[in-house]
Amino acid sequence: MIQEYDVIVVGAGFAGPVAAKKCAEAGLKTLMLERSENPGEKVISGLTIPIYGFLFGPAFIRDGNPPIERPVDGIKNYVIYDIKAGDIDTVELRIPRPLSPIFAFGYNAYCKPFIAWEVDQAVAAGAELRTSTTAVDVIKEDGRIRGIVTDKGDQIRARLVINCEGSQGILAVRAGVREKYPPEAISLADTYDYECPREVIDRVFGYTLRFCWGFDEQMIAPPLGHGNGLMSWPYRNSIHWMQDQCLMLDGGQAPNLRKLFDEYHGNITTQLPWWRDEIAPSAKLRARMWEGFEIFVGLDDRLRNMPNYTDGMILVGDAAGLESTGLCDGVPAAWFSADIAADTAIEAIKANDTSAGFLKRYDRRIKAHPIIQWTITCRGRWDLRKAQESHDRKELRARIDHQFGPGLLTHLGTPLTKGILEALRKDPTVITKWVRMFLRYYYNWENEGSSRENLPGQEKKRGALGTTLLLSDALGKLLSPLTRAIAWLLEPLAGAINPLTRALHPLIEIILRASIKMEHVFSPLTKRMADSVKQADPSIFDASN
Amino acid sequence: MVRKSERFPGVEWVGETGAFIKIDGKKCTGCGNCLRVCLGRCFEVKNKLASIKNLDECMECAACWYVCADGAIDFAWPPGGTGYRSDWG
Repeated sequence: MIQEYDVIVVGAGFAGPVAAKKCAEAGLKTLMLERSENPGEKVISGLTIPIYGFLFGPAFIRDGNPPIERPVDGIKNYVIYDIKAGDIDTVELRIPRPLSPIFAFGYNAYCKPFIAWEVDQAVAAGAELRTSTTAVDVIKEDGRIRGIVTDKGDQIRARLVINCEGSQGILAVRAGVREKYPPEAISLADTYDYECPREVIDRVFGYTLRFCWGFDEQMIAPPLGHGNGLMSWPYRNSIHWMQDQCLMLDGGQAPNLRKLFDEYHGNITTQLPWWRDEIAPSAKLRARMWEGFEIFVGLDDRLRNMPNYTDGMILVGDAAGLESTGLCDGVPAAWFSADIAADTAIEAIKANDTSAGFLKRYDRRIKAHPIIQWTITCRGRWDLRKAQESHDRKELRARIDHQFGPGLLTHLGTPLTKGILEALRKDPTVITKWVRMFLRYYYNWENEGSSRENLPGQEKKRGALGTTLLLSDALGKLLSPLTRAIAWLLEPLAGAINPLTRALHPLIEIILRASIKMEHVFSPLTKRMADSVKQADPSIFDASN
Repeated sequence: MVRKSERFPGVEWVGETGAFIKIDGKKCTGCGNCLRVCLGRCFEVKNKLASIKNLDECMECAACWYVCADGAIDFAWPPGGTGYRSDWG
């Protein structure tokens, strides 16, 4: 039987379901192929999805109830000069109380449940899902891609293939769309999952990620690639932990990762004071796994500009090299590019033209996306190596501050402002949607995930918070034309934000430090705010209100 | 069929993957890069020639494929529904 679709989406990871859902909603006959038996079970990542992914990503995620493990309020960096002597400095970037943890810096999640939730949304929208099916080759006719050959021997034809297969890009390389990435651009993430009682995580981490950096001889994280470090993420009842290392050294030899990872993991779990004394006594290793990711593709002009489309195929997310070089967050760019790929697919099929000439607009949109371009071209992590080489304490601290501390604002400010203004121009009422998202996610976190959807019908109690939200909705609608005009007027000025934050950097540092020190003053207010969200009728946070 | 590993808790390997990673003996120079980066200990090098010991603990990361400067390693995705899986990624 000949199988024909408008669109085949290869890979049901973070990106695939986003593209499939949008295509299906537009009436396109859409098939998702996934090589695992259950979506998400082959996806490995330490996972904080930064807030810009949720603010500017697919509306169904912003307005939905994806399963999250813990809101994140920021990053606490440990700058380790001498681990044995306890010579350790900290650099902290946090959204201050009482804004956080409700208004979060990002959200932690396990890949499998989050992806399964996304896939359910795509299937509900009409996309067909075929699991346990590996795409082994493309159908190529007259030099253009016409579909997919599966490991079952099926030839499935499609007008367009959206390739979301992940960073290795086996299918993309085989189809001749792009080259294999070189090993110096790839990092292997050695990932650990520790079970740990929630009260311990609450006490030690709270809502803050903990990253560790140090000079090579401190053996904090494999030092042989550029800017490698150790990251740990607090989840609900577990801690996720990742050390990573580039696959090629400067001298052209592959590092002995088997030895290196075991050595460094053993070293840090027994010597890092807060892990050894506060976490280790109650943590139990539940899982260890690893995966490669294309961390530095975006820093190389040639690699960054490799084709991400061809006649009949678009590459999305990691398959297109869109991993973040700074915060190592691939999910936002995967969501953005999947959204853009779906828009392009819908337009191409409507125009009956899926040629490379038509699909070029996908590439243009990716290159014009402020957040994608920022995430793939940040040099912060790469440049950490320079400080490690020079063995300069001041430089090491400054570079960590620049990429993972308050200095982040001096280069994220402009793209973030552009994203906000562009979103406001397109939908001036989006602010209340964002606010509802923060409140809904926080409610879900406090009330054990998204079980709210299974609660029996309850009488609606709007309360003061619900009334405030309704009033802000009305105000948002009333002021829509003005908001849109202001966003349109300010957009060209967004470029001034980075220089401004650079000039104000010392002041910003002082304010952030003071806000952390003064946190106890805001404790009662933070608790009141949290309680009002936690105890609210969850229907007041629904996006459809 | 489900396999587990003491060294890698929380991960299962299911089904028969077959030889989805292959080494071309004519191209291999025995540099050992594949051996060094493979956390699953899938490779061995004897007489300046790499070979696959087994893929029992392979997590399909393709690190071996990336580091093979000689282009001797052919990496393909294993058949659908086979290979590693984890709830904790």
